[in-house]
Amino acid sequence: MNNPESLSRRGFLQSTGTLTGAAYLRMLAPGLAAITQAACSAKDEGMAFAILGADEARDFGAIAARIIPTTDTPGATEAGVIHFIDKAFAAEMSGQLEFARAGLAEFNDALGSEYASAAHLGDLSEDEQDAFLQTRETSGLFNLMWAMTVFGFFAMEKYGGNRDQVGWELIGFEGGHGPWQYPFGYYDAQVHGETNDGE
Amino acid sequence: MANETTFDTREEVDFAIIGSGSAGGILAKELSTAGFSVVVLEQGPYRKAADFTHDELSVVFRSELHGGGNDVHGQTFRHHENETAVQPTDRAPIRYARGVGGSSVHFTANFWRLRPLDFKERSLLGPISGTNFADWPITYEELEPYYTKVDWEIGVSGAPGPFDAPRSKPFPMPPMPIKSSGVLLEKGAAALGLHAQAEPHAILSQPHNGRAGCVSCGYCMWYGCEAGAKSSTLAAMIPLAEASGNCEIRPDSTVIRIETNDKGKADQVVYLDINGVEQAQKAKAVVLSANGAETARLLLMSASTQHPDGLANSSGFVGRNLMHNAHALSIGVYEHPLNDYKGVQVSRIVHDFYDTDEKRGFYGGGGIDARPLFSATPIIHAMLGRDPNTPRWGKGFKDTMAHDFSRTLSIVGSTTSLALDSNNITLDPESKDAWGRPAIRATYMDHADDLAMAGFLEDRTAELHEAAGAEKLWRFGVHPTTGGEHLLGTCRMGDDPATSVVDSKHRSHDVPNLFICDGSSMVTSGRGQPTMTIMALAFRAADHIKAAATAGEI
Repeated sequence: MNNPESLSRRGFLQSTGTLTGAAYLRMLAPGLAAITQAACSAKDEGMAFAILGADEARDFGAIAARIIPTTDTPGATEAGVIHFIDKAFAAEMSGQLEFARAGLAEFNDALGSEYASAAHLGDLSEDEQDAFLQTRETSGLFNLMWAMTVFGFFAMEKYGGNRDQVGWELIGFEGGHGPWQYPFGYYDAQVHGETNDGE
Repeated sequence: MANETTFDTREEVDFAIIGSGSAGGILAKELSTAGFSVVVLEQGPYRKAADFTHDELSVVFRSELHGGGNDVHGQTFRHHENETAVQPTDRAPIRYARGVGGSSVHFTANFWRLRPLDFKERSLLGPISGTNFADWPITYEELEPYYTKVDWEIGVSGAPGPFDAPRSKPFPMPPMPIKSSGVLLEKGAAALGLHAQAEPHAILSQPHNGRAGCVSCGYCMWYGCEAGAKSSTLAAMIPLAEASGNCEIRPDSTVIRIETNDKGKADQVVYLDINGVEQAQKAKAVVLSANGAETARLLLMSASTQHPDGLANSSGFVGRNLMHNAHALSIGVYEHPLNDYKGVQVSRIVHDFYDTDEKRGFYGGGGIDARPLFSATPIIHAMLGRDPNTPRWGKGFKDTMAHDFSRTLSIVGSTTSLALDSNNITLDPESKDAWGRPAIRATYMDHADDLAMAGFLEDRTAELHEAAGAEKLWRFGVHPTTGGEHLLGTCRMGDDPATSVVDSKHRSHDVPNLFICDGSSMVTSGRGQPTMTIMALAFRAADHIKAAATAGEI
């Protein structure tokens, strides 16, 4: 099941709305439910990593930070996505860690070929990072990082990311604050005779 | 209150029921409250309302309610019988919830009755060559009292629509309130001369039968209901069955075979218990309600010298005529937030295209609904619900997510599927599931008319978005179905034992004390949302089984 070739073949080009996209992603995330208390205690201990070394954590984190960058709103870094990634690799996605490490080695080799003075993505400017990542978009590593960044940004906080629900706040998803009373949004508010601009 | 009723496996109970879902849960309650001793063998765990979470990662990406992904189930899929079926490594092709309550726990609870025409469509339209298009052996009028029983005992909310079939009693409670998705569908429908109506739900819009009403948490589709307001058989029937004192719900029991004696009657159900140890429950009669894929698989696995082609399969129809319904979808983004992730998925539907219209040039009909669909939760929205023409990462991705998530609306079509012998459930010759059973092999290619109808509905969904004022929209495109959650037709009802598996009262033509009642019983697919019909069939089957048992005819 954890076949690196199948990961890179399928890739993430299928963000076209075919159901194979989600189906593929399920392969990457078996049994993440057990990552709970460990995430909370890591936060308290000053961000110690469960399994990742400092360099690879910095590199994975750098990729995540370009996938969901910090802008005028929090991005993957503030959400703690790297801690989601770390916890997942330590447990339910441990089967993908070797693949990720091999992919990162390839990634850093390619990076060094293009930028002689760069050993890590974070050595480049943000524009250079984005330009380089565009050349890596079809790689298995990038696609894995994309999935884990999305998971880490939007999953429940107990998994280590989405700190203070910044992921949910970005998109206006009041996930932690249900249940809700009608009206829910702009159009039904008009029918119900109340104002709700939904913002 | 703890259920204290248990039966020894060597005690011959009146009924062993295989499956505790939409049909099995109802049959358990009906038979046990009528005084019969019942053991319900359920392969999955026994979760209660408080066990259900809003954990998107676990439920959607870890298949928590499915009992794991396809590495556990080993299912294979192919479009045609001359191909070798392939085992997907991600999603199982045949998907349903494993646990007490079955798929009635995780379904979206959209709830449609069939109409009179669904039962007699072949008589109305004539045969369709190359298919097993057939009339049902019963009419809408015969099933109607049981649809009404579902309304009141399972708990259904709704209001009459302009094309509805006759009903003997009103809905027991009003429909769920309209959402922004419904308001926009009404706007689009009105502009196009179509008729939007309230969606009926197996969801309580207010307290009913001692259960709480919906709290609009937004986690109906794919999740269990922690409020008990979604009308699963877990919420509505299982507690009553247990309270009768005559019913044992036995979870974590994986059935591997139904055995018959030398008189040709079923006499015990062989299963693996929670420790994987083989057990056999003796019973005077067996009710098989494992869903349209598992029921067929079990009958095929129960082949013996007496039944070389599978138990109850003298017709050769066991596993054949699998129907999934076909689907169509376009997604739009609107100026203002809908926040449609709040509350139940659907509040309005359009049934103007339900009937076959021969002027279209193909068989089929369908229904349309409006809902958030993938945009009810963040991760699946990012992966499937997001505009494919926008950046996949970076600031553009972030900005699109921030803007579009709350403004997204899906308009969905679901259609008929024609019954084809070449669409079926068989035992995979090589793959095994985690229990060592031959895995389900699904062979499925939609009839050309099914795809034509899906394409027709996709056009209508796009028109509805435009008429409703979508700022942008995109279509999913019509693709052959590669599996599904609607598992219909594989042990069809019929009067002729040569072309059906059970008679019109769900009794096997071949094995007089074996009853089969679930989605496999359906002769035609309906236009989508088959669960209400499955539940009505179960109530009706229960009445006939009770009468036959009382008259000593089992």
